[in-house]
Amino acid sequence: MARSAADRTIAPARDFFEQVGDMMILTGKTIISAVRPPFPYGGEFILQFLFALRLCWFPLLISTVAFGYGAPGLQAANFLVLFGALDRLGGFFVLASIREFAPLVTAIVLAGVAGTAITADLGARKIREELDALQVLGVDPVKNLVVPRFLALMLVTGLFDIYALLFGIFGGILATLVYHAPLGPFWATFFTNASVTDLWGSVLKCTCYGAIIAIVCCYKGMTASGGAAGVGRAVNQAVVISFLGIFAFNYVFTQTLLATHPEINVIR
Amino acid sequence: MSEQEKKDDQPIEPAERVRVVQEAAPGGEEEYRWHTGLNRPTGVPDAIEFIDVHKAFGRNKILKGLNLGLPEGKISMILGPSGTGKSVCIKHMVGLLYPDDGDVLVHGESVPNLRDEELFEMRKKFGVLFQDGALFGSMNLLDNVAFPLRQHTDRSEDEIMGIVNARLAEVGLTDAGDKMPNELSGGMRKRAGFARALVLDPDIVLFDEPDSGLDPVRTALLCELIQEIHQENGGAYTVITHDIMSARRVAEYIAVLWRGRIVEAGPAEELFNSDNDFVRQFLSGSAQGPLGME
Ligand SMILES: Nc1ncnc2c1ncn2[C@@H]1O[C@H](COP(=O)(O)OP(=O)(O)O)[C@@H](O)[C@H]1O
Ligand SMILES: [Mg+2]
Repeated sequence: MARSAADRTIAPARDFFEQVGDMMILTGKTIISAVRPPFPYGGEFILQFLFALRLCWFPLLISTVAFGYGAPGLQAANFLVLFGALDRLGGFFVLASIREFAPLVTAIVLAGVAGTAITADLGARKIREELDALQVLGVDPVKNLVVPRFLALMLVTGLFDIYALLFGIFGGILATLVYHAPLGPFWATFFTNASVTDLWGSVLKCTCYGAIIAIVCCYKGMTASGGAAGVGRAVNQAVVISFLGIFAFNYVFTQTLLATHPEINVIR
Repeated sequence: MSEQEKKDDQPIEPAERVRVVQEAAPGGEEEYRWHTGLNRPTGVPDAIEFIDVHKAFGRNKILKGLNLGLPEGKISMILGPSGTGKSVCIKHMVGLLYPDDGDVLVHGESVPNLRDEELFEMRKKFGVLFQDGALFGSMNLLDNVAFPLRQHTDRSEDEIMGIVNARLAEVGLTDAGDKMPNELSGGMRKRAGFARALVLDPDIVLFDEPDSGLDPVRTALLCELIQEIHQENGGAYTVITHDIMSARRVAEYIAVLWRGRIVEAGPAEELFNSDNDFVRQFLSGSAQGPLGME
């Protein structure tokens, strides 16, 4: 009985780690086939890029403004007013919006909107045996389907990160105005704290989020099984695993960035 | 606590003990009572060979020591109840699945041991009709059928369209060229998949149930078409079906697959006159015999 209980807990864990390993392998394959000629994926790359752009720009706009205004904006302003230090909101937005919330909100929206679409699309093709047919006709699904999605999602998340932090900061401005404070001090503390490291750190991090989402969602789509219900399961798992991956990666990235760039630890 | 351990804890009823013993002891023998594995010679070399192939998905063992040879230049049929692994066999031939044990040879080359580029080359020999047609949902029928030509040949667009239209006409889809796959019935998708599989005049053609979902008249016409095209092009054709009428019409070689192994294989006439009870039952479509619902 002890053995079967252990089996029941170990088997899913082993399965999970096997999948993570498979995704690592897929990442390697994707990068290799992205750089090794020929390059047949240009058209698909543009399609996927525009597709993600068209699908995500509006949800992302709403999410970032609302989140920036509501969460770090109103809450932090409320707290800062206590010390009569509302001008510090600008500095806080460097930490909150640029470093963390803009990439995170971008990733969440991208995974939920574009990632699920990728998994559902590839999953349906897998179930209809289209992927098998492609392979038999000499088309490598990694090179022709995964690589363009991988590159498109990385580019889109990188660009959307800037878009998200602009609208996030706009949320902060709204919060400042709601407290009837002038914007000068906001910008002053904002720019004393902001550094180039913050910007490229944010964009790089968000680009990596895009890579994680693309690999997880492609993997889950291409390994879907069990009919239409199986595609549904795959989409669900793709979102869950994407989020887990993003949060885990965020920890490692933030820790590393802070350790290698101690100057951004200092709040001015 | 698992089922098995529950049984271990309780005193075993005599009747149950008997049942357990019966299940365990002769199992292997009993299960393969009808599998003579007899392979009657055809006098031609094999285009595709399965050598003691084992394949399991998790604990679900599908192929259990499959030995099968499909002769060059003939229309072969693999017959067997649904769910026995016929589609799995086809995927082994084109290297979409790899055997856990054993070997699959195509024209003498071991498919599981090919490097990626070699596999890519080898697949050019094949035309495959998948069970549900496997048309590309993002392309219309013309583009679907033209896909292999664009992928593997340098023909001009005019030539390609000429060939594609001829192929679509053969399967009665002349007017459906600009339709998307999801606008078609299952039978039409199947026929389009058929056209796509044959568009490169491949050496080896695999049809996975080309006749399921077609009406009897269209099935008969499709069988004639397979025979005609085979006469023109030659090559090793493999058709998977459970339609005995189709088998009687076109098969030159028949292999009966059940429980992961070949029950019996050989030239069609000889199999139709086989004295193996299972083969007789299956080829006459009778309810009486060793094969039940299970
Ligand atoms: N990729 C797969 N993963 C897991 N099980 C599979 C897979 N492909 C086939 N099977 C299982 O193998 C068995 C045989 O399937 P199949 O070859 O499609 O049968 P059929 O003889 O009707 O074509 C089925 O029970 C199916 O569930
Ligand atoms: Mg099948």
